[in-house]
Amino acid sequence: MILETLSNVVLIIGLFFVFLAMLGLARLPDVYNRLHTTTKIGTLGAFGVMLSILLKVGFSPMGVKALTVALFILVTSPVAAHMISRAAHRHGVGLCKESVIDEYGRACSAACPEPEEE
Amino acid sequence: MKRYIAYSALLGLVWCFVHGTISVNNFLLGAIIASLIIRPFRSMLNFDMEFHAGNALKKIPAQLTYLFVLIKEIIKANIIVAKIVLQPKINIKPGIIAVPIRTKTDLGITAIANTITLTPGTLTIDVSDDKSILYVHTIDATDPEGVARSIKDDLEKYVLEAFE
Repeated sequence: MILETLSNVVLIIGLFFVFLAMLGLARLPDVYNRLHTTTKIGTLGAFGVMLSILLKVGFSPMGVKALTVALFILVTSPVAAHMISRAAHRHGVGLCKESVIDEYGRACSAACPEPEEE
Repeated sequence: MKRYIAYSALLGLVWCFVHGTISVNNFLLGAIIASLIIRPFRSMLNFDMEFHAGNALKKIPAQLTYLFVLIKEIIKANIIVAKIVLQPKINIKPGIIAVPIRTKTDLGITAIANTITLTPGTLTIDVSDDKSILYVHTIDATDPEGVARSIKDDLEKYVLEAFE
């Protein structure tokens, strides 16, 4: 009974964080800021949903699988965010106009100066 | 060779978890499949390097501390970013800053890069060619030195202890 209630609470927290992640995806200005929300909040959201499954069914095959999926999400989502942001920057996707500093762009253009564009 | 067996056993355990039932049969099946699967990646995993079970066990307390710090930071990160998302008017000053790191091994750099991505308002974009600087996108870049210092003091210490 307690586990059931706890499972429902964790599920609601997880879904709330997933909702926040999607809201951030829609509201924030550029690729990089959007990745912030989808990796961090999305990770905790998915983790919460998986944890709720684990609490509901205990250490049965389904619960153990949910735990494994949660750990894999925790390990892989930063790697995905890194690759997406790196690809975006190399592709020339600029930062939003509120940005104050871009040391990566400076380092890139110092290493291989781009030809003058007309 | 010892290292090869250790990796196979570890992946066998992962197979047990993915399958959902932890039993000797499953573990052996997973270990046999894993030993075949990791053969092509020999050059990446350094099987010739010595493997000491004692060393691996000695690091476990440091790794548990690291895990605890990581969970704390993830929850903090979520609350900070959630606050930004829920503000009626989004008022942020993002930017990409360079953060020098002391870690030199590939495993350490991977660990710290992933940790940075999971912690408050920071996202690793790339590592410099000489593996000494991480380029980090931060959601509040008004104080680059402060962000670099907080990464150095709060996270890198634990990563160094856990993975070196």
